[in-house]
Amino acid sequence: MFELNKTLTYNAFLLLWEQLKDFLITLGDMGQVFVKVVKRILLLRINFKETLEQSKRFAYDSLPISLTIVGMTSAIIAMQLAPELAKQGGADYTGSLSALVMVRELAAIMSGFAIISMVGSSFASELASMAVSEQINAMSVLKVDYIEYLIVPRFLAGVLFMPVIFIISATFGLICAGYVSNWCADLSLLNYFTSLWHGLFIRDIFIALLKSSFFGGTIALISCSCGCFTKGGAKEVGLATTKAVVWSFLVIAVWDFVFASIFYL
Amino acid sequence: MSIEVKNLSKIFDKRYVLKDISFKVNNGETLGVIGFSGSGKSTLLKIISGILEKDSGEIIYPENSEIAMAFQYSALFDFLDVFDNISFPLVERKELRGKYSKSEIEKIVKEKLKMVGLEGIEDKYPSELSGGMQKRVGFARAIVTNPNIILYDEPTAGLDPVTSTMIEDYIVQLKKDLNAACIVVTHQLSTIKRAVDKVIMLYQGSIVFSGGVEELLSGENPYARQFVSASIQGPMNIATK
Ligand SMILES: Nc1ncnc2c1ncn2[C@@H]1O[C@H](COP(=O)(O)OP(=O)(O)O)[C@@H](O)[C@H]1O
Ligand SMILES: [Mg+2]
Repeated sequence: MFELNKTLTYNAFLLLWEQLKDFLITLGDMGQVFVKVVKRILLLRINFKETLEQSKRFAYDSLPISLTIVGMTSAIIAMQLAPELAKQGGADYTGSLSALVMVRELAAIMSGFAIISMVGSSFASELASMAVSEQINAMSVLKVDYIEYLIVPRFLAGVLFMPVIFIISATFGLICAGYVSNWCADLSLLNYFTSLWHGLFIRDIFIALLKSSFFGGTIALISCSCGCFTKGGAKEVGLATTKAVVWSFLVIAVWDFVFASIFYL
Repeated sequence: MSIEVKNLSKIFDKRYVLKDISFKVNNGETLGVIGFSGSGKSTLLKIISGILEKDSGEIIYPENSEIAMAFQYSALFDFLDVFDNISFPLVERKELRGKYSKSEIEKIVKEKLKMVGLEGIEDKYPSELSGGMQKRVGFARAIVTNPNIILYDEPTAGLDPVTSTMIEDYIVQLKKDLNAACIVVTHQLSTIKRAVDKVIMLYQGSIVFSGGVEELLSGENPYARQFVSASIQGPMNIATK
C-alpha cells in the first residue's frame, strides 16, 4: 500500500516536473529568439521582401475571422446591453459603453484570438515542419540566417499589422453594435454614434494600439519559437502547433491583465 | 589536404554517438562512410557542416572553404520553386546579396541544373518532383556556391537501382568538376563501388574499418565482411545500442 502511494505521488510529481521543465525550456527558447530578433532589427538586418510577404499574409488571413468574431461579440453585447439600458432610461449611454468595452478590451483580445487561430497556428506548424524536414538546417548550411529570413519578418508583421487589424475590426464591431441597438432597442443611429463619440478617448485608442502591437509581436514570437525548435516528425509538428496556440492564448490573457493594471488601475 | 577530422567525439544523452573519429579527405577524393542505422553517420556530417556542435576533437580545413551538404531527404524549401531553391544562397546570403545580377543568377541556376542533368524545371515546386529529381535539385542547390567540400547523406537511399546509378555518376562528376573533397554516407554497396575512393565503417560511434574499396570487399576485416555479406552473424550486433 505504502509502495503504491509512493509511486503515485512520485509519478504525479514527475508529471508536474516534466511540464514545468517543458514550460521553462519553451520560455528559454522564446527569450533567446526574442534577443536575436531584436538584435537583428536594431542592426537593420531586415529582409523587406519577406516582411512584406508575411505582413500581407498576416493581414489577409486574419481579417475575415477577426471581423466576424469582433463583429459578433459587439453585436451580442449591444443586444444584451441596449434593451436593459433603454429600460433604465440610459439608452443614450449604449454608444459610450460599447466604445469603452470594445476599444479598451474586447476588440484587441478578440482579434488576438482570431490571429492566434489563423496566423499563429500556421506560423508554428510551418516552421515546425521546416525544422523536422531539415529545411532550417539546410538554411544554416547555406549560410543564410534563419532568424533574419524566417522569424524577423513574421515578428514585424505581427507588431505592425495587429494594430491595423485592431482598428478595422473595432470600427466594424462598433458599427455592428449600432445597428443591433437600433434593431433591438429602437435606439436611433444618430443617438448611438453621438454617444459613441463621447465614449471614445484618444488615450484609450493609443493604449489599445500599443497593446495590439504587443499582442501581435507576442503571438508571432511564441509561434515561431515553438515551431523552429521542433525535433521529430509529424506528431511533434502537431504538438508544437498546439503548444504555440495554447501558450499564445495564455500569454495574451496575461498581457491584457498587465496592460489593464498599468494603464487603468 | 582539404578536410581532416581528428579525434572527433560527440555525446548525446551521456552516450558516445561518435568516439575518437579521425580521417582525412583530399581534394578530388571521395570518402564513403558506412555503418548501421544509428551508428552516427548523419551526426558526423552535421558536425562537419556546423549544424551540431562537437564535444571534442578537431575539424581542419582551409579557411576560405565552402562546405555544402546534400540532405538525406533533400530538405528543399517547399515554399519556393526550383529556381528560387537553387538561387537561394546567391540571393539571401548576406555576403553574396546583390553580388549577382538577375541574368547572372539565371545563368548560374541553369548551369547547375544542367550539371545534375535537369533542364526546364525551374518553375516546378519540390512536391511536383520525383524523389530522384528532388535529390538532384538538392545537389544543384548545394553546388551553386562552388563548394570545395561536399557532404552527401544517403544520396541513393530509397531510389530505384537505375536512378541510384545516375546519382552515383553525378557524385563522381561533381567531384571532378569542382575538384572537391567529398564525404558520402551510404548503406549501398553499389554506391561504394561506383562513387567512392576509400571507406570508413562506423559501429557504435567508432571506426571499425578504414581502407580502400578493394580492401573492404576482400573480406579480411571481420566487420567489413559482415557488412558486405549482409550477415546477421559477426562481430556487430544490431540489437545492442
Ligand atoms: N539531436 C539528437 N539528440 C539525441 N540523440 C540523437 C540526436 N541525433 C541523433 N541522435 C542519436 O545518435 C545516434 C546516431 O544517429 P545518426 O547520426 O542519425 O545515425 P545514422 O545517420 O548513422 O543512422 C542515434 O542513436 C540517435 O538516436
Ligand atoms: Mg542518417
